[in-house]
Amino acid sequence: MIELVFLLPLVAGLAALALPSGMSRILLLCTALLHLQLTVMSWMGKLTPAFPQFFSASPEGLLILLVTSFIFVCISIYAFSYIEETEVENKPVFNCCMMLFLGTMSMVTLSDHPIVLWIAIEATTLVSAPLIFSHRSTEALEATWKYILICSVGIALALLGCFFITLAMELGNIDAPLTFNSLNTVAAQLDPVWLKAGFIFVVIGFGTKMGLAPMHTWLPDAHSQAPSPASALLSGALLNCAFLGIYKMDVLMNVAGLGEFSGNVLVGFGLLSMIVGAIFIIGQPDYKRMLAYSSIKNMGVIAFGVGIGGFAMYGAFLHLIHHSLIKSSLFLSAGNILLGFGTKKVQRIGGIINSLPKTFVSFFAGFVGISGLPPFGLFISEVIIIIGAFQSKRYISASLFLFGLTLVFAGAGRVFMSMSFGESVEKVQVGEKMLRLIAPYALLLASLTLCVWMPDAIYTAINQAIATIGGTIHG
Amino acid sequence: MINLTEATLVVILLSVLLSLGSTRLMALVQIMALQGVMVSLTPLLLKHNEAFSSGAIIFYQVMILIKGILIPGLLYLAVKRVAIKREIEPFVGYHASILVGLGLILVSVFITNNLRLSLASGNDIVLITAITTMASGLFLMMARRKAITQVIGYLMLENGIYLIGTALTNHTHTIYVVEFGVLLDVLVGVMIMGIILHNISRAFDDVDTTLLGRLKD
Repeated sequence: MIELVFLLPLVAGLAALALPSGMSRILLLCTALLHLQLTVMSWMGKLTPAFPQFFSASPEGLLILLVTSFIFVCISIYAFSYIEETEVENKPVFNCCMMLFLGTMSMVTLSDHPIVLWIAIEATTLVSAPLIFSHRSTEALEATWKYILICSVGIALALLGCFFITLAMELGNIDAPLTFNSLNTVAAQLDPVWLKAGFIFVVIGFGTKMGLAPMHTWLPDAHSQAPSPASALLSGALLNCAFLGIYKMDVLMNVAGLGEFSGNVLVGFGLLSMIVGAIFIIGQPDYKRMLAYSSIKNMGVIAFGVGIGGFAMYGAFLHLIHHSLIKSSLFLSAGNILLGFGTKKVQRIGGIINSLPKTFVSFFAGFVGISGLPPFGLFISEVIIIIGAFQSKRYISASLFLFGLTLVFAGAGRVFMSMSFGESVEKVQVGEKMLRLIAPYALLLASLTLCVWMPDAIYTAINQAIATIGGTIHG
Repeated sequence: MINLTEATLVVILLSVLLSLGSTRLMALVQIMALQGVMVSLTPLLLKHNEAFSSGAIIFYQVMILIKGILIPGLLYLAVKRVAIKREIEPFVGYHASILVGLGLILVSVFITNNLRLSLASGNDIVLITAITTMASGLFLMMARRKAITQVIGYLMLENGIYLIGTALTNHTHTIYVVEFGVLLDVLVGVMIMGIILHNISRAFDDVDTTLLGRLKD
């Protein structure tokens, strides 16, 4: 019964509505831990799907499920303290939506039926909208409205893409169940024209959710207005889930022999997202928005890596894992800073090294990590992607990729330096607290550990996920 | 004898044109209710010679209930709450909008003829209607200021996509549980949009989306 992985948080989330806020945050923590346990059990193969026509445990899905589950445990420890200290109206609703969010995201990672996948991704939009609206300000209202409208329209187009895939099946006279697993076995008979059309619509639709430029416009608003634990979840977990939808389609295209087309589309969107992200990071006055644009850039890197294929695909999956860990850690540190100084403006904040020394360590280490410097994992993954790009002789794309990375480093460096060492206008109002520091440290430590020692299970999972379409973990 | 399928589709097309030309929000909600019922009836009419399983009958009943009653009901409540009766100063005028709608019909005919799909007889008209509905939904979202009209545009887009699904596929692959999930998502989506709408009108005393322009770089 692998469905338990998403049924448990869904049920617990609804139960939280009936509990007082003190109880519901304990429930949040317990659900997070139980979810991690169920995830590990499904990694060990102890759980089998009860509805194999809708759900199955694919290696790429399990990988994203594990990342999501681990991040969620850290975030729930953080939220345990954070939510008590901020003005979040209606705390049980916040906790409820956090758990429903976890449930729907787990459903995305396990679904094997294209339309079930669509339902799950649309459901993530719906349950995360109240999270963004938590602060009830007019800005939060605007961000929520944009988020729900832009994402719903985008995802509606992805549904059209799913219908085109069923049409491609009919034109190819295929009588097989509509699941990604069975589609991959009969891919060669699918009608190529409609498969391509379906792919384009799926990339536009789920790309909106993933934050690929030019459909990214909701992302900076939503990430900056949501409370920090929710921003960390949006950036570290939700974007990966949307990527999973695109990846499954890309696998189908590759198996059907249209890999070159789908690869070029992804490389194009990837490079555009990197450049757009980089341009908006330069001179960004709001540090949470800056982190959001950095997410757009990193999603671009992942799309780029998958589009290149081969060795770069291994880099893309490494990038996905490490980006989730480091970016959610950064959003949590940013939450500490926001709580301390009470403003999101870069100019009004300075000297974190003196006023919030423990937060400074995680914030600055996060900066080193997100800029792709050693010893953190994004260094390895970006180098692998560049090697992959050179191996497949895409010199122009590779140089654009490097250009984008440099721009981001320059833009983000200015912000992080002035916040850490500059002069401060505001005074610190709320100090640091142990519970709010464990999570960002644990996430960074996880990224560091995975660089030095990666468990064999994760190696094999990545290898299985990318081997079917010519990806390799040996350069 | 009147061809029921074609009559239904013509009603859908007319409802699209009407919605593009109507100034009153209440009228728009009523048009959406009619369109919802017609859209849910179309697959039934297309498959009139097939036997229906009991699951299918329940599903279509639920669908008419959701598309024809529940969603318009939610919209009705939203319009009542925000106490705004008409759309003032749209980005694109009403006459121009109707003209755009007519243009969209022509374009959809052109697209359908060029696809050269071997569709079952009668399905090409479904496809024309579907593409027009979808495109008009997108147009409505862009051409109007009020947030509530944008929700209606989204619903029209969704109706159009659903019609494309029925026109193109034989429903041998889709399972009713799955379609029910899609429908439920749309329903909850409209519910949440309604709640946010209510909050927008409380915060700004209006549901004009041009007021929502503070967050930018």
